[in-house]
Amino acid sequence: MKKFFALLKVSVKSMLLSSTNSRGNSRKKAATGAGAMLLIAFLGLYMSGLYSSMLMQVLAPVHMEVLVFIFMGMGALVGGLMFTTFAVKGVVFGGKDNDLLLSMPVSTTALMASRVSAIYLENLLFSFFVLAPAGAVCAFMTQSGVGHSLLFWVRLIVAVFALPLLDTALSVLLGALVAFLSARVSKGALGQNIVMALYMAAVVWFVFNLNGMIEGLAANAAGVKESLSWAAPMLWMADGIMGDWGLLLAFAACCIVPFAVVVFGLGKVYRQAVTAFAARSARNDYKLSAQAASGQKKALLAKEARRFFGTPMYMWNSGIGLMMLVAMGVAALVMRRDLQSLLAMVGGDFPTALAAAAVMGFCLSMCAIAAPSISLEGKYLWILREAPVREGELLWIKTGFQLLLSVPCTVIAGVCLAAALQLSLWEGAALLLVTLLFNLGHAAFGMLMGLAFPKLDAVNETVVVKQSLAVVLGMFVPMAVVGVCALLYLLGDMLAPWAALALPLVLLAAFAAGCVFVLAKKGPAMLRAL
Amino acid sequence: MLRIEHYSKTYPGGKKAVDDLTLHVRPGEIYGFIGHNGAGKTTTLRAVAGVMDFTEGTITIDGRDIKKDPVGAKRVTAFLPDNPDLYEFMKGIDYLNFIADLYDIPADRRTKDIGRFGDAFELTGSLGSPIGSYSHGMRQKLALISAFIRRPKLLILDEPFVGLDPSASHLMKGYLAELCQGGSAVFFSTHVLEVAEKLCHQIAIIKDGRLVKSGPTEQLVGDSSLEDVFLELEGDK
Repeated sequence: MKKFFALLKVSVKSMLLSSTNSRGNSRKKAATGAGAMLLIAFLGLYMSGLYSSMLMQVLAPVHMEVLVFIFMGMGALVGGLMFTTFAVKGVVFGGKDNDLLLSMPVSTTALMASRVSAIYLENLLFSFFVLAPAGAVCAFMTQSGVGHSLLFWVRLIVAVFALPLLDTALSVLLGALVAFLSARVSKGALGQNIVMALYMAAVVWFVFNLNGMIEGLAANAAGVKESLSWAAPMLWMADGIMGDWGLLLAFAACCIVPFAVVVFGLGKVYRQAVTAFAARSARNDYKLSAQAASGQKKALLAKEARRFFGTPMYMWNSGIGLMMLVAMGVAALVMRRDLQSLLAMVGGDFPTALAAAAVMGFCLSMCAIAAPSISLEGKYLWILREAPVREGELLWIKTGFQLLLSVPCTVIAGVCLAAALQLSLWEGAALLLVTLLFNLGHAAFGMLMGLAFPKLDAVNETVVVKQSLAVVLGMFVPMAVVGVCALLYLLGDMLAPWAALALPLVLLAAFAAGCVFVLAKKGPAMLRAL
Repeated sequence: MLRIEHYSKTYPGGKKAVDDLTLHVRPGEIYGFIGHNGAGKTTTLRAVAGVMDFTEGTITIDGRDIKKDPVGAKRVTAFLPDNPDLYEFMKGIDYLNFIADLYDIPADRRTKDIGRFGDAFELTGSLGSPIGSYSHGMRQKLALISAFIRRPKLLILDEPFVGLDPSASHLMKGYLAELCQGGSAVFFSTHVLEVAEKLCHQIAIIKDGRLVKSGPTEQLVGDSSLEDVFLELEGDK
């Protein structure tokens, strides 16, 4: 056990440091790490609290509070899976220190357990952020008073600790499949992309069905619960939290057993798995033919594209916002009649253009392509530094790559939305103008965050793309800018119609101009100092 | 070709890694840079390559100041760190083309040089595979090929013999000599004193960031061996 805890300490420390930047003293690192953690915690608690209270408002009057825990438990499970499945490949099977640790007199099961425990801790955080607000909502919004007893909280804590065990077992198995495909399929990235696409399709199907379930919740809550019999462990968890100790224990067993099987089963073959997943031998059948030349800029852009499209972790995490943006635009156009009748029901005062711009801004905020790109250079940064290219040019190529992807998506989505929502010509033009300005500011801001909070020593790209401070700030600060713009629109609307557009436009122009100016002025020196 | 004048590098925290280093590498010379671990060799090579900023002094390559005209200086230089990490998401041939594009190497010349050096280092057949599947030695060879196809005026190498098999080492020595015959210069660090003694026209020994001895190899070594000279200067003998 002593060895296990020593290994666990290393894994956890590595995980905790993953959000910090690689420069600065330990106090600064701790502060940036804590800041990122607080931001994620706040958002997690807020989102979960919001959805829990929305559900509870519908379900408490019909005494079906149990469904809140079923849905939130499912949310935690699916969210945790999304968050950690692709991390498993790097954290569990592809750690840089695998060679070192496997050469030490430590059992492979202990090593596997320590790696898996780090994933468990991530899932535990997720479980806590989702279930704790649901518990708080239950305590305040139910009439039965079930949430006021100490035992309710004890049962909730048991669920919070047990659920991530199931999540971890599933994500380790799926992650092993991803690692296997990457090693075995010649187009490893394509294989991973297919798995991720199927996974996203499953999530979308689930979300669509969940929406349908919530719509008919109040009328048929009991029926909805019955229809969820395929997710029996979630029902046991929810009934357990609400007071059934037997079902809670059954749920705990349902989580502990798969976790133990995965840890001990894969632990026994950990060495073989690590070897098999890493074994990619170079072929020896290449025939050199005439090579083509291209310019510096094209080569650097092609390199960014190759990294983005060839690294599923990067593409799916940083590109999901753009996919959502285009999908939303096309879906709005296809279902424009439904959308228009919905808007007619809401009434003529609804700020349609504002809503479209806000949703587009939200999707674009999630497109953090430039923010992690400096950290992704990591150990390869010497190649760019040695190259006869000015630092400023390197930064603009990285920023430009994000714009190259986001601008066409913005235009497609903007045009589709303008047509679907029947916006006037000037409203459509304004929508495109503000979202394009936002694109520019967001890309430049992301690049600046990448330079200010680099993570050049990350153990794998998962850490950079998912957890680095640059990415967290590169997403959430622009989201806050979108929020402030919406407020300014509403404020301006109270003054004069022109002010409603002018105020957010001025803010966005200032945001874009400020970020571009700082990037141009300070960026090269910041890159040189890394 | 390379002029280092009063170069000093102080790291944050006040530690002086290199102190007032002056040395000149002439065209056609192979210049060996030796010293114990932490003496300041890599710090110097990285500053010369324009990879790392420095606090004092000037470094000029082929008349171009690395601080004032970094792009011009880098255009005539090739640098290989001691452990060259290359983009693992690229295939070997993609990496070579990427480097060739950055240095504006024409298509026909790059095809010819990639074929020549690829065949010599027995790597051509593997150029279609991702770099992630290469062994350490194969990566080292690919990095060397990427340096040679640039036909640099100054080749900077940090511990180039580490990880290379004997035949690749032999080949590399031949290409270094060929490069110098064409008027280029090679500036490299090594711990393999026998190689330095046989290969280098000039040698500099650095200790605790200060140049302790430099000059033509025959003069520096005299009747003893480079190992004896080095150990004597280091105070280990």
